[in-house]
Amino acid sequence: MSDPTRDTLRLVEGTGRRESVLQRKLTLRDMLDLQTFTDLVKNFVELYKVGIKVFDEKGAKLADIKIGNGDFCGYVFSFPEGRHRCTATVSRVKDGPISPSHGARMPLSSEPPPGMIALPCFTGLRYLVTPIRWEGDSLGRVVFGPFTPDDLKELPLSLTEIDQGFDVARATPMMEKIRRAPEGTVVKVMAHFGQLLETLVAAGQKTYLTSQMHIEATLESNKELEARNKKLEEMNARLKELDRLKSSFLATVSHELRTPLTSIIGYSEMLAEGLAGPLNPEQVEYVRTIMEKGETLLKLISSILDVSQIEAGKLRLNFEPLNVLELVHGSVTSVKPQAQKKGVILETRLPPTQNLRVSADRDKLKQVLVNLLANAVKFTNKGGTVSLFLSEVGPQPELGADGYRIIVEDSGVGIPQDQFDKIFESFYQVDNSSTREFGGAGLGLAIVKSFVNGHGGQVRVSSEVGRGSRFTVVLPATPPQPRTTTVLPPAVQEAVPDRF
Amino acid sequence: MQLNQAQRELTVKVVYYGPGLSGKTTNLQMIHARTRPEVRGRLLTVETHDDRTLFFDLLPVFFSTANGFKVKVKLFTVPGQVIHNATRRIVLQSADAVAFIADSRRSASAENNAYWRNLHENMRENGLDPGETPVVIQFNKRDLPDTRSDAEIEETRRRGKEPVIGAVAIRCEGVLETLYYVLQGAWRSLEARAQLSKNVGLTEGEFLGQIFHNIDVKGTELEERFGPVVGRDPDKAAGNGGGR
Repeated sequence: MSDPTRDTLRLVEGTGRRESVLQRKLTLRDMLDLQTFTDLVKNFVELYKVGIKVFDEKGAKLADIKIGNGDFCGYVFSFPEGRHRCTATVSRVKDGPISPSHGARMPLSSEPPPGMIALPCFTGLRYLVTPIRWEGDSLGRVVFGPFTPDDLKELPLSLTEIDQGFDVARATPMMEKIRRAPEGTVVKVMAHFGQLLETLVAAGQKTYLTSQMHIEATLESNKELEARNKKLEEMNARLKELDRLKSSFLATVSHELRTPLTSIIGYSEMLAEGLAGPLNPEQVEYVRTIMEKGETLLKLISSILDVSQIEAGKLRLNFEPLNVLELVHGSVTSVKPQAQKKGVILETRLPPTQNLRVSADRDKLKQVLVNLLANAVKFTNKGGTVSLFLSEVGPQPELGADGYRIIVEDSGVGIPQDQFDKIFESFYQVDNSSTREFGGAGLGLAIVKSFVNGHGGQVRVSSEVGRGSRFTVVLPATPPQPRTTTVLPPAVQEAVPDRF
Repeated sequence: MQLNQAQRELTVKVVYYGPGLSGKTTNLQMIHARTRPEVRGRLLTVETHDDRTLFFDLLPVFFSTANGFKVKVKLFTVPGQVIHNATRRIVLQSADAVAFIADSRRSASAENNAYWRNLHENMRENGLDPGETPVVIQFNKRDLPDTRSDAEIEETRRRGKEPVIGAVAIRCEGVLETLYYVLQGAWRSLEARAQLSKNVGLTEGEFLGQIFHNIDVKGTELEERFGPVVGRDPDKAAGNGGGR
């Protein structure tokens, strides 16, 4: 049992850290398991028939096992002068200096353990006292006795004179119950006890320090992990911010590219229409090529602008009530020329109702449909089919709300299963080789995903290579409001140069 | 340092730091073997089943000064394995001086540097100024192949202000010299901070003398200064000595 006041939390100056157990001076109580220790003392006392008392450095009693002297000492104590002298002796033994002074002397032994003293009692009995030394510190003392030295032939005057009523005949048999032994023998027994105690203290110190260190190290590790988590979170926020800045830059650049490109297309158109004078057929062909390529470039830049705005978090969706059926018709119409040109059949399966009212961003949702349809046409060979299915508004389990589904299915080349997630990433192409068959920047599906997510919906794909693909878009009838993110400043780390 | 003027006690803390398996525990074992039992405690080691230090090793060395001040020097090692950084930080707390035990093999440079940085980081975490805390570098394992040349060690010495000592700790070569320099560094730093000679009456000469007169310094660079141990057969001490 340890003194609770010893465990008060002390902090290391200037750090706010808790002071380690390694910085503390340990006491006997810290290092000894008192229950085990008391058992050991008891066994020792029973074996050698000499009482043992152990005190810590403050004089508090840790163990006190008596044997044999109760009757004798009780009898002596019953006389006022006996009580007075007895108290003085006990006080000397317990609190007096552990040095051969103040009535103490060196023990009668050729090799007494360091520091041990012998203290004769006025009754003729004797005590041995030895300091408990540990790493140069005194942690307390062990008191051995009282025992009857074998050189004591008769009770001394100092005892018999304490009271006229003192009955030697009565006291003598009481004294005979106390262990009689040569002082040198008791010194040896005591030295042995000292060694045992030292072993116990060594084991106890190790146990105490390691258990405390274990707690400290665990606390410290937790603190470290928390700090690391915080750092990672900050770093993550910083990376997100960098990513946003990159996208923002891309958005600005794309926007700046679009303006002159629109002029190039406009002036080419004017040239082709002969507004600046007639052109010969070859010139018209060239100018039309400029226009066509310009349009392709403009589409690409528009896609990049969309994606970068999405990634920069600048995407603004304007939700308004609309009829999805109208939107579907419009989208199919805009993809039809491409399908006809390629010889791909385009079919729709729509609900019987004429009005499917939902809330959505008209332009963005149309782009989702156009992108999916155009993609399907692009990857479907001549004679193949692209079909669009639209559901009615009803409960959608994956959204946990009412919504509707749009499915775009094709009989095209298909997508390998391990690419299902990646095709929704920006600039990703299933066939990424420079000689790939199908054009595009790999932004169409990334835009689809962002727009669908922006509506609080989901898009997924299922496909079989060579058989075709199916894109399913699930959208809520009423989209939720968009979220925002926060950004933290970068951390500064001072570098220590190499030393080796 | 812990200075208790009322009880006239001074405790000095020295920490052996460095990468795993660089020989920190071996240093303490050698010092333990060569120090008179009267002035040292038991070597407390807490190790794992494969003999790796788990928390720390502790060897206390103590003496009383001429004017009755009790001085205790506590030598600690930190666990070298990477995962025990939290424990290293705790053990380093309030250190008065550090012996950095480096592996002198060229292949160990990256690890030495990593732990050197780790030492500085943990010093700062403990509020210890790396510029003010004395550090001694020991290049251990000088007997192994791939060890740095004397010229390379000299080069390392020139690159910083720390004393650099070559060592073969398992033969006790350089171990006591390292202890000497790290204790000297500790005393000088404490003298600057707390004026030991004035407040405690403990001079550098007495501090080092009280310790090294009780250590078997035979065969080391310290032999001339601290002579043979009185009342003890030096030949029975561990190791055969040897200089740098």
